[in-house]
Amino acid sequence: MIDWFTDPYQTQFMRHAAVTALLIGVLAPTIGVWVVLRRLAYLGDAMSHGTLAGVAGAYLTGISITIGALAAGVTMGLLIALFDRQRRLGHDSAIGVAETLMFATGIVLISRNDRIGVDLTHFLLGQIVTTSTHDIIVNSALTAVALGIVAFTFSDLRNVTFDAGHARQVGIPVGALRVVLIVLISITVVVSLGTVGLLMSVAMLVTPAAAARLVTNRIETMTAVAVAIGVVSSLGGLTASYHLATPPGPTIALVTVACFAAATIATLPRRRTVP
Amino acid sequence: MSDAHEASRDHPILQVTGIGVTYPPATTALADVSFEVHPGELVAVVGPNGAGKSTLFKAISGLVPHHGSVELCGNHCHHQRDRLGAAYIPQRNDLDADFPITVGQLVLAGRRRFLRLGQRPSQRHRQAAINALERVGLADLRQRPLSTLSGGQMQRAFLARALAQEAHLILLDEALSGVDQPRTEALLDLFGDLAHSGTSLLVATHDLSLARRRFSRCLAINRHLVADGPPEQALGPATIEATFGNPTTSNHAA
Repeated sequence: MIDWFTDPYQTQFMRHAAVTALLIGVLAPTIGVWVVLRRLAYLGDAMSHGTLAGVAGAYLTGISITIGALAAGVTMGLLIALFDRQRRLGHDSAIGVAETLMFATGIVLISRNDRIGVDLTHFLLGQIVTTSTHDIIVNSALTAVALGIVAFTFSDLRNVTFDAGHARQVGIPVGALRVVLIVLISITVVVSLGTVGLLMSVAMLVTPAAAARLVTNRIETMTAVAVAIGVVSSLGGLTASYHLATPPGPTIALVTVACFAAATIATLPRRRTVP
Repeated sequence: MSDAHEASRDHPILQVTGIGVTYPPATTALADVSFEVHPGELVAVVGPNGAGKSTLFKAISGLVPHHGSVELCGNHCHHQRDRLGAAYIPQRNDLDADFPITVGQLVLAGRRRFLRLGQRPSQRHRQAAINALERVGLADLRQRPLSTLSGGQMQRAFLARALAQEAHLILLDEALSGVDQPRTEALLDLFGDLAHSGTSLLVATHDLSLARRRFSRCLAINRHLVADGPPEQALGPATIEATFGNPTTSNHAA
């Protein structure tokens, strides 16, 4: 049985893949807690799609993929803020329009170059087994920065998420924290690029945190449970994909959904009794 | 009561002058409202749904753009930081009742005005939060999730947050809605105690009989200030009709 878990990691590329899976397994659920509590799952999904424009643009211009993806995330956040100024539109409509613009731009850029089209499928669906040492260093640095920001702003994030009006009253920079959250989602999407891919990154962002929300009523515990689910899902999914010869990204995503299903079933009787 | 305390009661804690709020494109929610509140006053703000009670509280708190001026403790409120002495407690429907936050964490949020970005609350701040909880009778519940509290307990927790914030003025939006009669009376007793110690409270309510019975001053509002005075004056038949409309053609009057 132990061999089933250890066999895949005899080679260096699989060990690299495991480190990358671990990073996203910790980072995405930590950020995902705030995405779930603020009911921004659609924003997370849209950000992952919109990042395609930045990745494609980076390929065409030769700049760093990481910088291109982060720039796309920030641009998307600014576009949403701009469209949000139309008071007759809901926030979801603003997100939808910004997503359409960025995702369509990415597709158009891809169509300009056949070579990009082949490489970008790696980013859409993830290509965790091709992770290099350089990727690990960059992703580790991004993860450390993002986790540091969350730790630094943790209580302010909680106060803003619960009662933004009071947060503004006591001097918490509500608008700045909204931008910070968008940047954190962008970083998560960037780190997801090489693992579960852009299209599946929302699975790591939302599903572990959503499962954790079902089983706990404290944000600190919710974060710990979400990270545990994220790590188990990413490493378990990677191992399973090796044995089952399935794509790692979607396999990891399916394991997160299995954890969510287990949490749902486990809490069903309890939640039925809650009025 | 000391002379100094008496003297301080002569100066308004809140002075609102010509305040108005217009929501885009051109919906007037509040127009030309002026009044003042003195330290230790317990004031009911009455009016029908959509009268602008919440908007008035949000304008005083700086949460919506407004024209006119707001003075708090004698200082013109030009910036948000000038309003730190006011605490707005929103309607329960405006917040996620199931949000994972403990009573202690909620009250500690009131101390944030004394902290810098990223600064952890010291023991002094934690003790201030505990003191606030003791004052509202919830010290034993500080580890409890907020979502497990009753309506009355939840209002006490928000009051504790305002006390931890060291607010001179507390604005309570429909604080008594959904709270049963005995707990409503207990909450009103607490409001009275806080007012007696010098804190000023504005309480938005639909319950006119409660306003008549338990408040010494009422503001009747329907997008503008209709009446301001003791209940027998501010809630007389003519004022009620001017505020709520004709009860036979309107469902607002209570």
